[in-house]
Amino acid sequence: MKQHLHLPRRRFLALSLAVAASPAWAAPRDELAQRILVTWHRLVLELVRHTATYSPPVASRAFGYLGVTSHEALVAGNPGLVSLAGQVNGLSPAPQPSGDTDPATALHYALSAATKVLFGNTGPTGQRAHAALTDQLGAQVADGLDPALHARSAAHGTAIAEHILAWAATDGGATIDNMGFPRDYTPGTRPQDWVPTSLVRQQQAPLLPAWGQNRLFVMPSVTACGPAAPPAYDETPGSEFHATALEVYEISRNLTDEQKLIARFWSDDPMLSSTPAGHWISILLDIADRDGLSAEVTAGVLAKLGIAQADAFIACWAAKFEFNLLRPVTYIRRVIDPAWEPLLITPPFPEFPSGHSTQSGAAATVLTAIFGENFAFEDTSHEDDGFDPRGFSSFHAASEEAAMSRLYGGIHFRFGNQAGLEQGRCIGAFAAALRTEA
Amino acid sequence: MIRALVFLATAAPLAAEPALPRFTEETLTAGIDTVYSGEWEYMVGGGVATFDCSGDRFPDLFISGGAGPSALYRNRSPQGGALSFEKTDALTLDAVIGAYPLDIDSDGVMDLVVLRLGENKLFRGLGDCRFEDATATWGFDGGDAWSTAFAAIWEPGATWPTLAIGNYLDRKETAFPWGSCTDNWLHRPEGLGFAPPLPLTPSYCALSMLFTDWNRSGQPALRVSNDREYYKGGQEQLWRLEPGLQPRLYTEAEGWKRLRIWGMGIASADINRDGYPDYYLTSMADNKLQVLKDPARGLPDFADIAYPSGVTAHRPYTGGDLNPSTAWHAQFADVNNDGLLDLFVAKGNVSQMPDFAAQDPNNLMLQQADGTFVEAGDRAGVGSFATSRGAQVVDFNLDGRLDLVVVNRWTPVEIWRSTGDLAGNWLQVRLEQPGTNRDAIGAVIEIKRDEVVERHEITSGGGHVSGSVGWLHFGLGDKKTVELRVVWPDGTAGDWQTVPAQSFQILRPGRPPEIWRPD
Repeated sequence: MKQHLHLPRRRFLALSLAVAASPAWAAPRDELAQRILVTWHRLVLELVRHTATYSPPVASRAFGYLGVTSHEALVAGNPGLVSLAGQVNGLSPAPQPSGDTDPATALHYALSAATKVLFGNTGPTGQRAHAALTDQLGAQVADGLDPALHARSAAHGTAIAEHILAWAATDGGATIDNMGFPRDYTPGTRPQDWVPTSLVRQQQAPLLPAWGQNRLFVMPSVTACGPAAPPAYDETPGSEFHATALEVYEISRNLTDEQKLIARFWSDDPMLSSTPAGHWISILLDIADRDGLSAEVTAGVLAKLGIAQADAFIACWAAKFEFNLLRPVTYIRRVIDPAWEPLLITPPFPEFPSGHSTQSGAAATVLTAIFGENFAFEDTSHEDDGFDPRGFSSFHAASEEAAMSRLYGGIHFRFGNQAGLEQGRCIGAFAAALRTEA
Repeated sequence: MIRALVFLATAAPLAAEPALPRFTEETLTAGIDTVYSGEWEYMVGGGVATFDCSGDRFPDLFISGGAGPSALYRNRSPQGGALSFEKTDALTLDAVIGAYPLDIDSDGVMDLVVLRLGENKLFRGLGDCRFEDATATWGFDGGDAWSTAFAAIWEPGATWPTLAIGNYLDRKETAFPWGSCTDNWLHRPEGLGFAPPLPLTPSYCALSMLFTDWNRSGQPALRVSNDREYYKGGQEQLWRLEPGLQPRLYTEAEGWKRLRIWGMGIASADINRDGYPDYYLTSMADNKLQVLKDPARGLPDFADIAYPSGVTAHRPYTGGDLNPSTAWHAQFADVNNDGLLDLFVAKGNVSQMPDFAAQDPNNLMLQQADGTFVEAGDRAGVGSFATSRGAQVVDFNLDGRLDLVVVNRWTPVEIWRSTGDLAGNWLQVRLEQPGTNRDAIGAVIEIKRDEVVERHEITSGGGHVSGSVGWLHFGLGDKKTVELRVVWPDGTAGDWQTVPAQSFQILRPGRPPEIWRPD
């Protein structure tokens, strides 16, 4: 097991690139492939944070396609790996190379090309970073490699990216307008219907109301994992709905420092973090570094994890707009305390079920299926933002904390979190059943 | 928040549409051709400084050029006539991002702080629009950073100013530049110069700074607006500065509320006339208008009233591009002389960011009697679609009507003259005090508006790398005279003075106003 470096992530990455760029440092190709895979995904975590289009559902989609891209780039010529073509919805067999390929080179060109397109909307700094990483890692994969093998591998990687991007272009989620907020929106008229919760003009319509219509990766349908309906809306004191809202209110008034920390640690706000899906990708990348996972294993896990989270957001969003339930801040101000302020900023879309809970449940299920129950790890995702690492005894323990964080933050009812976790675990099982290894 | 909304709800019923100012673009005829150019390192910046360097009390112009040369223009406009500037060969510098005028040595001749990509510079004014590089003479460590914000104040008892300089990210980072914000600096006095700078740590890629007495304590604090695109763990900041002590941030325990925006510019004014400064913070998509929630409690806790006030300016209002806007310089000014402060905002895409408007017109939002604002940029003739950055709203030809200069990325500066008929009256004042801090930075002008007193802080800083020292303009509406007084930086309140409209008045401590005529 490798020692984990406790450097701030940005310094760690800079150090990795600098060391790797040294001519005196000649890495075996398999270690190089792993570094290519992890470094590109580290950049993607940054691009998600710094590209305005990338709300949490959109980010999950990118992680899904990048995970599949990574895995498919390594399949050719590797009898130990199985393509996902035919296992996931709509993916046809990938193009085959004309001869053997170098995994590191194929991965680099595949991820560079796919990232370039998926993050075509990123700003000048993201474009500059993409170009810099393409150059820096490109020099590393070419160093010492037979030119013909390099050219063939690069062409194969590029072809894989083009194949996946063509598939992605037809899923319904490729084009995002106005950061995902409809320009026209007619709110519901029932008392339980979601209404805008912020004074941000752009957010007077909910985020991505049609996201639930996107093509799923592996689930048979968006309703395959529920959820059942939330409790009936009721403003009567003592009713189930009132009681659960009162719980949010009372907890918010008595938050411990630890509960505030948990709420903020899992807040994973768009444009201020890599979003909830990126948080779990970050957890996986840390484990890959810590345990010295191979590129083949890491890519397979990235594919399953990305698929699980992408489907989780699609199915969760379908449920959100089916039930269209109001947020705690709306109910509590209407019924309990007009001056109430939740700890976190309430996200601009319906409450039920909790999206973070759904995708965390899905992620934990996939990772548990691969790494096992009671797999302890340290989550350093927000170290650069000033959060100390948090240790967890298992993936499910982390996902349950993520779900509770929404209650502490005052943005979800307990039933929304619980339904999300259950829905997510069911979705994760579909992704975990995919075969990536022979 | 409640008080702010009450203000909006209980103000006078909506009156007629505010008087529409009309501007004529005179860029070509005014003789200005400077372009703020350059690539990634110049995606922010593009500032302009207006001040009188010639001694005729007409505002001259210094314009940053980015990768190209900066330029100093001498104002040759006739009073009330077409705008005309003469380009000089002074202050032709490279790598200039922005600039602020400041009489650092209090000799009565304006000096200039120049923010650069690389070493910042201080230039001492010699008169007749001549300058000498005083960076070394004044012991100023110009550093080597990407400097993108500035503010200055004379701390209590100080005979030399304290300069705050905000810095952006580490420009040498390529693949992983996020989280690389470099230290901001506080240059405090040391004799007739500056001590080595104190790092204002943590620093979060500041794009605007302002010393402001937010709570009327008599001790200005440093407000810093930061770009969340590049910081990690950051937020907007308010630094408490006490003489001789290390600056320290206001904390959540003290009432400060975390706000994370793409902070690009700060404009400040007493918009709701509660006697406390309010702050407009530019960003991407929605912009913010913050008012103190409860001045009596003294907590730095602000409510955002941009939405009910109609100043979110979150997307283009004309031109058909409906993507979110990108806002930079902001400035409150009464452009129609109706006695209500209006708001100008410069807009422009960072650079090929397709999630944001490519055709992003500048805003000119006119305040209405009920405290809300209505957009008039296109109708007034200043809704430029150029990629704008810094700006100043200034009366260049001293006719009582405010003009406008805007610095654009990659295309020439634009300058407009206010040419419409404005029925409202106006007043322009200059503060002059003997000794140090001649322009009375940190003073407050109190002006009676019917039953309330509107307060105007005299500041150096804010906006987007753009600043001005010169005549302070007040619209008076139909008032023929106005009552005002000055609270000088040492806290001494001058007597209330009644001064006539349509006049230029020089105000000095303990002396009656002195009228000045621009002929």
